[in-house]
Amino acid sequence: MTKPIVLHLLDDVTPGGVTRVVDHLMASPVLNAQAVHHRRVLNGNRLSAPAMQADIIVSHLTMSWRNLPMLISLRAKHPNAVLIHVEHSYTKSFTALNVTNRERFFTLLRTGFALFDQVVAVSRAQGNWLVTRGLVAQDRLQVIRSAVDLMGFAALPAPSGVPKVFGAIGRLHEQKGFDGLIAAFAKVDAPDIRLKVFGEGPMQATLEGLAAADPRVTLEGFRPDPVQAMAEIDALLVPSRWEAFGLVAQEALAAGRMTLVAPIDGLLDQEIDGARVVSGLGNSVWTQAITAACTVKAGPSVVNQTDMAERQKQRFQKDWSRLFGEALQKEMQPAA
Amino acid sequence: MPLASLVVPAFNVEATVAETLRSLLAQSFRDFEVLVIDDGSTDRTQAVVAPFLEDSRVRYVKQANRGLAGARNRGIEEARAPYVGFCDADDLWAPDKLSRHIAHLESNPRLGLSYSGSAMIDENSRPIGINQSPALKRIDSAHILKRNPVGNGSAAVLRRAALQEIAFYPLGADRRASYFDETFRQSEDIECWLRLSLTTDWDIEGIPGHLTLYRVVGDGLSAQTERQLASWENVINKLRPLHPRFFAQHEGAARAYQYRYLARRAVSSGRGIDAMRYLRLSWAQSAEPLWAEPRKTLITWAAAGVLRMFKANPMTAVRMLSRPADLTKGKDFQ
Repeated sequence: MTKPIVLHLLDDVTPGGVTRVVDHLMASPVLNAQAVHHRRVLNGNRLSAPAMQADIIVSHLTMSWRNLPMLISLRAKHPNAVLIHVEHSYTKSFTALNVTNRERFFTLLRTGFALFDQVVAVSRAQGNWLVTRGLVAQDRLQVIRSAVDLMGFAALPAPSGVPKVFGAIGRLHEQKGFDGLIAAFAKVDAPDIRLKVFGEGPMQATLEGLAAADPRVTLEGFRPDPVQAMAEIDALLVPSRWEAFGLVAQEALAAGRMTLVAPIDGLLDQEIDGARVVSGLGNSVWTQAITAACTVKAGPSVVNQTDMAERQKQRFQKDWSRLFGEALQKEMQPAA
Repeated sequence: MPLASLVVPAFNVEATVAETLRSLLAQSFRDFEVLVIDDGSTDRTQAVVAPFLEDSRVRYVKQANRGLAGARNRGIEEARAPYVGFCDADDLWAPDKLSRHIAHLESNPRLGLSYSGSAMIDENSRPIGINQSPALKRIDSAHILKRNPVGNGSAAVLRRAALQEIAFYPLGADRRASYFDETFRQSEDIECWLRLSLTTDWDIEGIPGHLTLYRVVGDGLSAQTERQLASWENVINKLRPLHPRFFAQHEGAARAYQYRYLARRAVSSGRGIDAMRYLRLSWAQSAEPLWAEPRKTLITWAAAGVLRMFKANPMTAVRMLSRPADLTKGKDFQ
């Protein structure tokens, strides 16, 4: 019997979080034993989907009014395939800060999600939001926390002593909140600490301006190897304004780095893995949190790094394998 | 378990708290509890409240003084019901206020905060003919920042789940939850509503009517209004990092409304030179108050001008011109 085919649809293949999650999924021996995985990039401007050969189609696409016609035709052209959508983008905090017409936005999401047999939330916080806002029915929602290969991070030796080099890693975009972080860092009264900001993006010039005022803060540019950036810091700061899950925090935890995260969306999910949730809003709480972090020595955020990395991998494989298994069973059933 | 918890922060309110409690206990919707949070009163507040405990729906909690925000936070902590309303211990609720807000909240599961307009009353609880009549629908963060439609601390009924989402735990407070920010001694309301709007996707919406009777105390001195502005600026400074782009777009106009409000306060206490100064500051920030609310803005300009030229208080004349009178004169921002 030939193996079933799972087709992953992506908006683009730039080295962002989504691409790395799909890479991780496609590299899993467990999942490859279950099915053959392909991926395909679909241009956001197309009006209709191509007819594709697949038993399961997994959309990692960003939903918008613009690509809704394409998603409708995707459903129409693949009546027998099981369609799964992974919601990598939208969250409660995204909605609060970016959406002026919530009614219209929720209509888009409800309509889009209704085209799929299953919707996957990438964090429990995001899943709860999708259900409480009535955007997805509970029985069509699965929560599968995102994962990437953490082994390289787990191999890094954990820093000892109080952290001296703090890091912020991600796209230089208002989503990541590095502007507020740099301002908060400037108020920390400790001459021997540093803040390294890794990444590139539209806020580059603004952040350079902010960093110029504090010699302890440097913009390091983009590191193609994320492990290398992690190796250069003792602690990670994640002040994001919205974040569906926040893989970078998982990487820092696997690397044994102290990890401070904003109290929003998917970042809240990672307290269980050892992240410390900064309480409250505004720059002053970050100033307080960084001050506390570099004055009092704390216990390790993760005791056994390799174990943590392995556990996340197993859980990710198991969750996806179960979802694919259920989907294939559904697909094999004769139509009533 | 009651359906609503009504939180009454009470600090040295022996003169007014009895009337407030009577207005709450007379609500047509009866399934609620009243939580009187005595915030370290040094007058006879406790003795005045005591007889009300005969009604089993009333609970009395005394704490060391934490300020208005701290008293409300304690009330939220003690509240057992899915809906939480607030009524300051000098204000009154119209008899069907709670029932209307409950119906509003029950009809829209996405609604986090329901508010209504207010009628101002004097120290003898008589209406002074001035109302707050805010916009009710399509309330976004920009409108809250600029116009604070919720208006005052006795107008809102919130869904507990929405409050839960804005809880935070300040360092050094024994992991005690804060909903209102206790570092603010003024502007704690607007800070809370704006934070709710900028960090959650709960709807904020009003219902028609002037269902809160809001007591206006003696007219503000200039120093007081300046302090009010300073605390408002602190709110902006606190929340700006949440969404710098949003504030860059709207805070100028919001500040213009603040200055216009200070000008109106100055007019009503006969300070013509101050009024003109505030109006110029308002104009320098943004012209939005003029095109968005031309009547109110022009009347303020005219009143300030007349006041300065003739050194006489033109308030009486202005009120006649602007019927129904809407010149706001109170301790809140409009």
